Amino acid sequence: MIRELGHIPLFILLVFGSSACEIDQKEILPEDGFLKIYNHPEEQLAYYPESVVELPGGGYVFLSAVKDENDEVEYPYTNLVRTSASGEVSWSLDNDWRAPASKLMLINGTVGFVAMNQQFDAYLILVNPATGDVTEQHNLEMTMPLYAHMDSQGRLVVLGYDFVTRSSWISQYNGSYQVQRSNKLPVNTDLEYLVQRHLNKTGQDYPFFIGEYRNAPASGYSVNCFYNYTLRTVFLDQASLSATGDIYSFQTEEGISSVIQKSASLFGVTSYYEGNNYIMPAAEIDVNSSSNIKDLPADPLYELTYRAEVIAGNLVLDTASYCLFVSQTNDNSLVIYQYEDGTDVLINTLYREFDQVVVVNDVIQTADKGIAILGGIYILGKYQRPFLVKMTQDPFLPEEE
Amino acid sequence: MLNSTGDVTSFQILRFIRKVQHLCTLYCLESVRNPKIIVAFLLAFLLNSTAWSQGTGFLDHLRIGFGIGVNASQIAVLQTYNVFEDLTGTTYTNEYTGMLKNIGNQYFVHAEWFNDYFIVTLKPGTYTYRFKKVNDVVFANETTTQETPYLLRYIAVPLEVRYRFDLLRFRPYAGATVSYSHMLTSLDASNQTFIRPKVTAGAVAGTYIDLRYVILDLNVAYLAGIHNITSKSNRFATGNGSTFAQDDILLNDLQINLSLLFSLQKQKHYSNVECFY
Repeated sequence: MIRELGHIPLFILLVFGSSACEIDQKEILPEDGFLKIYNHPEEQLAYYPESVVELPGGGYVFLSAVKDENDEVEYPYTNLVRTSASGEVSWSLDNDWRAPASKLMLINGTVGFVAMNQQFDAYLILVNPATGDVTEQHNLEMTMPLYAHMDSQGRLVVLGYDFVTRSSWISQYNGSYQVQRSNKLPVNTDLEYLVQRHLNKTGQDYPFFIGEYRNAPASGYSVNCFYNYTLRTVFLDQASLSATGDIYSFQTEEGISSVIQKSASLFGVTSYYEGNNYIMPAAEIDVNSSSNIKDLPADPLYELTYRAEVIAGNLVLDTASYCLFVSQTNDNSLVIYQYEDGTDVLINTLYREFDQVVVVNDVIQTADKGIAILGGIYILGKYQRPFLVKMTQDPFLPEEE
Repeated sequence: MLNSTGDVTSFQILRFIRKVQHLCTLYCLESVRNPKIIVAFLLAFLLNSTAWSQGTGFLDHLRIGFGIGVNASQIAVLQTYNVFEDLTGTTYTNEYTGMLKNIGNQYFVHAEWFNDYFIVTLKPGTYTYRFKKVNDVVFANETTTQETPYLLRYIAVPLEVRYRFDLLRFRPYAGATVSYSHMLTSLDASNQTFIRPKVTAGAVAGTYIDLRYVILDLNVAYLAGIHNITSKSNRFATGNGSTFAQDDILLNDLQINLSLLFSLQKQKHYSNVECFY
């Protein structure tokens, strides 16, 4: 009879063995995945996160524009925060450069950003990431900087606005930060007030950006800016900075929110018009012609917030590469649309729920092949503060059959 | 002793058990995944036990019943993980509500086997634990306290070994307990930040009260968690990220239980006071 009972302990052992595996968890390091919300106790401050970079030795630096109700200058000042690899604050420093423009750049061991002085003159400021001290500053001979980008050849490209000639202003700089090439795209109307309200965070936040494309058929920049009365994505030849084509929309109320090249003339595009957001994961675009945004076949994204900011980026894993579009939904969630490169099929939609309003501002792929998302959140529904989410690559890996 | 009819029945049962056990042996590795095989195992166990206990007089030392109780959870923090970082250098802390505010409950089936000195008790049932995590969000002119409530419901199988003292009017006991629990699924996103199994161990003490036809078992137990119950890979997947991340914690609890037991042996004594003629 005892023999008949022999398998019962085996069964119990199996159950306990299975549980033991779950109890004996794989160690997850804090830097593998975290969520951090960076609070400042002063209620009158409002943080507008702009950009984040991962430092080569680990850790992050992120940039925010800070509006202080009590400040006599209407334009937000600059705040830089250095964190450890697990998101803990190492230092946080404010400085008097105004309206910092995306993005942060790693330049010869320093962290660089573009901002303006109180006379609207654009400067490149280089900061020692170990201490936060400003090590260099360079006058970029431009006004009202709206976006900064380090291209694939290590050249600084900056978008600004010239309120004298009423033009969008794109400049490319050499290694000494001298203007190499420059181009002004006439707006043909005075949009200085809109630009000012964008810079001082009191009006609509326009999706100004600079992207890059190659072999489509030539190499160039895709610049989202005001041009010829409207908010347009203008394609500029990289060698001459002359405009070759564009995608236009209705005045300044509609536009493209992100562009990423997928291959040759195939681009991933998100846009907003008529109150909705749209996505074109693989739109055929001729960079040498002018086309209307509404002529591109698009899928609606009703869940995104009104005129949602969307960040497009590549995610390169060991087995495959993907295109990510990251944004925020009406129910206070971060959302990540993951498209497979090559097939352009949506293979995954990831949500991260919050209990307050969130806005996505920047996304980077980290050295461990995860991603870091910088955004803003209204703590207690009142105070705008930056947050940083670090995710491992696991959620992006295709499920095993 | 089994009669002749009983022998035939036992023989048939044993043949069936052998078949089931043979299948179980073949598929033992699959049993963890396949609920049908688990049920087959349990069936084999019940049939096995019944036949065996009939033959050995096991039932004469068996009491079964049911019970209810309350528990008070106590959280022990192993490692703190904060969502909030202060840009001015202030450190945020996480706190948990105290035991008196963490009242949960349990419902269970109570089965025990006893001899002259020891009692072995199984109390499988539903055990529910409650506690709250408290975070202060500090601003210059206001400090807001955010409370995140948790309700963790487990299917648990506590096993107790008790040493009984015979004090005539009272039948107190003291012993040790070990419990294996498995958390039930929940729609609450924050519950996803915990692993499913939980193992606790501790001490138990109590007394039996003989009420002639039934026996009451009143006991107190303190169970200490022996491992971290937080899912390390999901600690930030709280579903409402503005409040907290899950710390590494142990879930300890103090239980007070009352069971109603029925003896399966023929009732010989109706109370502690026996009359002899």
